[in-house]
Amino acid sequence: MNAPLGARILVIDDEPQIRKLLKVTLQAHQFELHECGDGEEGVIQASIVHPDLIILDLGLPGMSGMEVLRRIREWSQVPIIVLTAKDQEGDKIAALDAGADDYVTKPFGMGELVARIRVALRHVAKTTDEPILRFGSLTIDLAQRQVELEGALVKLTPTEYEMLKVLASNAGKIITQRQLLQQVWGGHHHESDSHYLRVYVGHLRKKLNEDPTNPRYIQTEPGIGYRFLLPAE
Amino acid sequence: MSERIKKETLPSHGKRISAYVWVTLGVTLLTLLLHAIGMSGDLVNVALVYLFPVLVSAVYWGMGPAVYAASFSVIMFDFFFVPPYLSFTVEDLRYLISFVVYLAVAILTASLAGRLRQQLEMVKAREATTNSLYALSRQMTAITDLNTLLFNIATQVSLTLGKPAAVYLPDGQGDLLVTSSSTPESEGEKDVWGDGESEIAIARWVYHHGQIAGKGSSALRESPGLYVPLRTEEQIHGVLAVSMDAGEVHEQQEQLRLLEACGGLAAGAIARVKLAEEARLAQITAESERIRTALLDSVSHELRTPLTAIIGSATGLLENDTLFTPEDRRELTDNIRDGALRMNRLVTNLLGMVRLESGMLQLNRKWCDVGDMISVVLTQVREFSPHRNIQVELPDDPAFIYGDEVLLEQVLVNIISNAIKYSPDESPIVITVASDKSTDQLTIWVADQGIGITEAERLRIFDKFYRSESTQHVTGTGLGLAICKGIVEVHGGSIGAEPNPGGGTRMRIDIPLEAHGSRFPYSEQGEVEE
Repeated sequence: MNAPLGARILVIDDEPQIRKLLKVTLQAHQFELHECGDGEEGVIQASIVHPDLIILDLGLPGMSGMEVLRRIREWSQVPIIVLTAKDQEGDKIAALDAGADDYVTKPFGMGELVARIRVALRHVAKTTDEPILRFGSLTIDLAQRQVELEGALVKLTPTEYEMLKVLASNAGKIITQRQLLQQVWGGHHHESDSHYLRVYVGHLRKKLNEDPTNPRYIQTEPGIGYRFLLPAE
Repeated sequence: MSERIKKETLPSHGKRISAYVWVTLGVTLLTLLLHAIGMSGDLVNVALVYLFPVLVSAVYWGMGPAVYAASFSVIMFDFFFVPPYLSFTVEDLRYLISFVVYLAVAILTASLAGRLRQQLEMVKAREATTNSLYALSRQMTAITDLNTLLFNIATQVSLTLGKPAAVYLPDGQGDLLVTSSSTPESEGEKDVWGDGESEIAIARWVYHHGQIAGKGSSALRESPGLYVPLRTEEQIHGVLAVSMDAGEVHEQQEQLRLLEACGGLAAGAIARVKLAEEARLAQITAESERIRTALLDSVSHELRTPLTAIIGSATGLLENDTLFTPEDRRELTDNIRDGALRMNRLVTNLLGMVRLESGMLQLNRKWCDVGDMISVVLTQVREFSPHRNIQVELPDDPAFIYGDEVLLEQVLVNIISNAIKYSPDESPIVITVASDKSTDQLTIWVADQGIGITEAERLRIFDKFYRSESTQHVTGTGLGLAICKGIVEVHGGSIGAEPNPGGGTRMRIDIPLEAHGSRFPYSEQGEVEE
């Protein structure tokens, strides 16, 4: 399950130092790098170089990162990883809801960024509608609506199952609270209902025999949402 | 007080009239009585008895009724008792001398009694003035807020004099404004007194000249108000003004004196509050000076140390690349990363402190699962301390609190990393969560078995930039716990350090489970498992 080597990455960031850092390290990881320093040019570049993935800084001068994201999403489903400064919680959520695939906070470790890039690329590559999802000893049979843990059937309520399905079929990717509410409860949800999520995630974790303080499957992204963890490779 | 005076003076007109009636009645009755008991022969005694109504009216009604009583008694005495009876003619002319002496004695006594009475009234009035001044001064000393103080002065003065009063104070540009004013309840609907153009103009004149002006004073007599400068020895703070009715001159004098006294008190009180404010400002300046020094010291040390490591390692790598073995290179790069991470933590704390201090901290309250929060915290802690043994004891039911999870996580990260920093590597750290439904409180304990905190330091460790003497060897800025305290307090909770029963320190965080009456709205949905 390795990411395709030589994937083309477009970096849109106004800081030359960050661009240089990304260029050097990502090239060392065998990625092909394209870079540009402002949003407007970024949108144009995205349509010219047809990257496999875009790394987008949210704090761009001139055209903001959010605007760039919106413009690109008008015609492309290319995975986009957003770079933000740590405390812009709202920005992160807005970006994810607007179609970004993941975010990395500044300052970031290179290993983390590369891992996120891999996950995002793999997600795109996985096109088949696999009816059975396997994560270590956890198996989710989407056709049968059955969940097995270490060979034993796990009994879930419809809501719990739906949540697990959404999270697991986006394994490795962050799902915001709003996305989860929308996909599980449909239109009948409220932004302030996020505490239901917590309760259901709590139940789900219990049924998956998770240690809530050291989760194996469902990781909380503080203030943003949840991420289904890929088993360690 | 003046209302009291008014009550006494206004009906006293009616009283004076009735006093003459009483005197007439009394003397007539006395005459009848003297006749009835047949004392008419004993003229000396009769004359003495007639002195009685004179004295009584002198004591109770003053000079006028007393003289009237004396004259009337003489007439009655002459008419009924001095032969020839029932006639004003006097048989023996010596009686005329007696009459004159009698009248003189009566008038003298009456005037003495009347003066006594007047003095008594004056003393009473003075006492009332003193009382009201005392009440005012007692109020003045108790208040530390300038606006409340001014309002109280205006109200008290207006209550005392029974007239609307206003206090003028200069604003920032030295322009005089009505700062506080009181309007008696009967005029409640009317505009606030003292806000008019002419009133402010007079107040301005008084403020600049430092002289009393208005009715009853020597300057600007025709003005309907009375204006007193609020003066302490070195400066004039403002102007106290009272609207005056046309009254007797002596009454005006009285009120002027009272107003002057009130003004003196008010000026003293204003000066006191101003001085207190200045002292407080000076203290704040000194404190912020101290904090700035501490910040500079700490920043220069705490930022320069990792920066030195980063620059040193990076330049080493750049300049002598060929010298280093792969292991050396790895070590130097690790050094760079650790230095940068440390700087990042410091910057985060500094930013957090600035946000707390400047009041920019906005709580983004949501229902948070405490277990979930601790899991996130532990993930972060494991990043910089992967091998530490941290045990978590959670209640059976998931505990939910209404708070800002990101900030609360920061609190826990700070507390737990402190526990790690100040305890030996192999010792366990225990996090216990308990929710008490009866007090609606959630308590989180973080217990370590480290060096512990002396009792004297248990409060001080939450001060900004405070570092314990015994832990000077451990790096830190003394900001972490101050931020924790700030965040927990914003949530309406409290944080404290206590000795851990097993040795070391136990930090205790109490946070209300439910804030502002928002109950956790979850109820079981009754879903069936498939």
